[in-house]
Amino acid sequence: MIQIDRLTYSYPDSTDRALSNVSLDIAEGEFVLVAGPSGSGKSTLLRCLNGLVPHFTGGTVSGSIIVAGHNPIVEGPQALSPVVGFVFQDPESQFVLDRVEDEIAFALENAAVDRTEMRLRVEEVLHLLDLASLRGRALDTLSGGEKQRVAIATALAFRPRVLALDEPTSQLDPQAAEDVLQALVRLNRDLSLTIILAEHRLERVLPYVDRMVYLSESGDDVLTGPPRRVLRQMNLTPPLVTLAKELNWDPLPLTVKEGRQMAMQSPIPDPKQRIRSGQSAEGRRKGTGARPQITVHNLQFAYNGASVLRGIDLEIGAGELVALMGRNGSGKTTLLKCIVGLLIPERGDITMRDSSLIGRPTAEICLDIGYLPQDPCDLLFADTVFDELKITLRNHDLSNNPPIKPSILMERLELGDVAHRYPRDLSAGQRQRVALGAVTVTRPQLLLLDEPTRGLDYPAKRKLVQLLREWQGQGTSILLVTHDVELVAQAADRVVLLSRGEIIADAAPEVLTASPLFSPQVARLFPGTGWLTADDALASLNGDGNQGPAAGVQRLQENRSTDGGDQ
Amino acid sequence: MLDPRVWLLWAMTVLVTASSARNPLYAAVLLLVTMVVGTTCTVNGGRRAPLSPVHFAMIAIPLSALFNSLTGSSGDTVLFALPGWLPILGGPVTLEAIAFGAVNGLALTVIFSSFAIFNAVTPVRDLIKLTPRAFHDAGIVLSIALTFIPQTTGSLQRIREAQAVRGHRVRGLRDWLPIVMPLLMSGLERSMGLAEAMVARGYGAVSDDPQPLRSQGLLALGLLLLLGGWLAYLFGSAWRLPAIGIMLLGTLLIGSVLWSAGRSVSHTTYRPRRWSYGDGAVVLGCALALTLTLTQGEALYYSPYPRLTAPPFDPLIGVGLLGLVVPALVGKHREEETH
Repeated sequence: MIQIDRLTYSYPDSTDRALSNVSLDIAEGEFVLVAGPSGSGKSTLLRCLNGLVPHFTGGTVSGSIIVAGHNPIVEGPQALSPVVGFVFQDPESQFVLDRVEDEIAFALENAAVDRTEMRLRVEEVLHLLDLASLRGRALDTLSGGEKQRVAIATALAFRPRVLALDEPTSQLDPQAAEDVLQALVRLNRDLSLTIILAEHRLERVLPYVDRMVYLSESGDDVLTGPPRRVLRQMNLTPPLVTLAKELNWDPLPLTVKEGRQMAMQSPIPDPKQRIRSGQSAEGRRKGTGARPQITVHNLQFAYNGASVLRGIDLEIGAGELVALMGRNGSGKTTLLKCIVGLLIPERGDITMRDSSLIGRPTAEICLDIGYLPQDPCDLLFADTVFDELKITLRNHDLSNNPPIKPSILMERLELGDVAHRYPRDLSAGQRQRVALGAVTVTRPQLLLLDEPTRGLDYPAKRKLVQLLREWQGQGTSILLVTHDVELVAQAADRVVLLSRGEIIADAAPEVLTASPLFSPQVARLFPGTGWLTADDALASLNGDGNQGPAAGVQRLQENRSTDGGDQ
Repeated sequence: MLDPRVWLLWAMTVLVTASSARNPLYAAVLLLVTMVVGTTCTVNGGRRAPLSPVHFAMIAIPLSALFNSLTGSSGDTVLFALPGWLPILGGPVTLEAIAFGAVNGLALTVIFSSFAIFNAVTPVRDLIKLTPRAFHDAGIVLSIALTFIPQTTGSLQRIREAQAVRGHRVRGLRDWLPIVMPLLMSGLERSMGLAEAMVARGYGAVSDDPQPLRSQGLLALGLLLLLGGWLAYLFGSAWRLPAIGIMLLGTLLIGSVLWSAGRSVSHTTYRPRRWSYGDGAVVLGCALALTLTLTQGEALYYSPYPRLTAPPFDPLIGVGLLGLVVPALVGKHREEETH
């Protein structure tokens, strides 16, 4: 279906190659995952499939690419549109009209498809994507997952033979992402549609794919093959695979179910074991007995008469990292905005060091509280990274007496090398860190982070976690809104679950294991152990720490047999 | 769902009627009509006007009353007087001028409401269909602009909040830079993203037949005739009849060229609108209101000068204006079908 031979591409005015000698053969009906760090060329490769690169972007290209007998480089994206359907990261940015059915028919109308044929195709995709009941709905009333399914439907209206998707689930909550992926699996299985999907969160997609393509950061190393083979050669893998690699499990499990089968051979340890090991998740949590940095009491907020937050009570101690989780629309962002004074609550109080924040101007509150909104680009407008930090200091009249020197902060954020670059030209991870620098240069005692890992790859996420831990160690409290259960498992001291504006759980991260929606892979693999991350499990299994994890498993088996075996 | 042309006719009829109705009682009837139609026919997710009619009224009525009272000095009931040396504003402020200004504000609110309803009930796709076929691409540009408005409003709000949390305060014109720059950049990025998405969906793959040179020449000739006829009508009182003929000829020529250009546009329609009884009923209601406006224009008008008196009210005219409420009777059921 797709033959790529020594494809090399450079963007205009760039000496670096975005793709370097990429060669691939993809058969009809394959479900292919394209992985790799930010900037490795995943999106570029996908855009080559339908000719958006180089026709839309310009730049220089060499090598060849043939898709279903067409040459996208020669024919261009418009000619390829009936062959390759393309779905972008943000569904809203690709809509032209305002209603589901109209949006799906739009491209067909413009292609002058016969009306009878058009109605048949629209009906077809509405049913394939399970959108029939939403056909007359306005697009802005749909949820994120529904919008992304509409975007897929619009791409499928031409009955393409290939569907290319560029991180389609990166903006969705876990349940909505699962719905979209299930729709793709159906399309792949029922229609033999060839699917090429770029994605950072591998753990979401690995169970479904036939093949993996891994692009290295330099773009000149391409690994391709069955997922298990490629994962063996990759450094940054989902927790389940990382653990399996450390434990030398063969074959590598791609799903928790497969992992459990492997663990059956190295039996799941008794929960008592973690107490013996003393290095479980609980062991690395900070205590919460510290004096509260901030207290939210009986907070209520309504928007246009509809209650959004109801009776919120929350305390965050100094140096504590609290994760705030819940489905889209549960009120997480609203709570953050109430804390920094962007929204005025109907009732209740928010106090910081015994002083109420209600009624105080946002600019004043944000001297003590750093708030990072979902999209870092909303903050960035200066010519250089350095200027972004200086502007925040100037806004707070701290230019002459900065709590921390911008240059030092930039080094800590690993932005020293790009201090004089235009912030919007940086990678997603770097932009996120610039925005973080812009809101923390005042050295706030409390940090509110709204989905800080959205669109970040594993290395960028790891850097962020390291940074947050460092700040925590210095006494900064952090309230982190996220859908990323693996991040919560790695970093949080406590988890607060919000549902329809109410706190339904406020406990240690181990509470996550009770809900499959918010449960990390390792917790599902070893239920009852309290282990949340691969590090937790490895540390415990490694026991004395000098014999390696495999020996740890062996030891667990021995312990089990001496205990009489209660499984 | 009502035909978008019928909604347009309805909005235009409200515009014409409200422009004539300076009797506050009839203007109030019209406001009631738009409120009923708005409540019944608008659905969640329609394009919302930046201001609700109630908010618009709260601004337009007092402002109009204030402006009229300060700039006009007619009327017998003098409330107080401003010093005569104040240019334009100086002189007596009368109750009648306030009343007349408030009625103007009321009429403006009615017109605003009718177009807010038209905007909310007409899907973008139907707006494209309202543009002549020859201007199909221009219609799409318009539709994109319309969907961009709410997105840009949302971006503006987000950016203002994001800058506020950095301690930014808007005190002067220069303080808008941190808000305007990201707004412009995100707008440009969104435009590029949309363009990319449209190209990926094959937009522009089917090229329309280019217009032959003859058509372009005929269009230019038509425009020249229209302009020439208009000038002749304005400046030569003896040539008025031939001037009208020349303007008609020019209009016909332009119309035929556009019709021919429209035929060469290669597009199909997913679900063409079919004329319904509901559409006919709304047209009849509009015809009734228009007839009243044209024949009873004086009755719709009311002047509070020289002394404010109770405005007259003819129940028959009031009932006639209720013809404009027909969309609420026939439009509601159809709107619900889409959900």
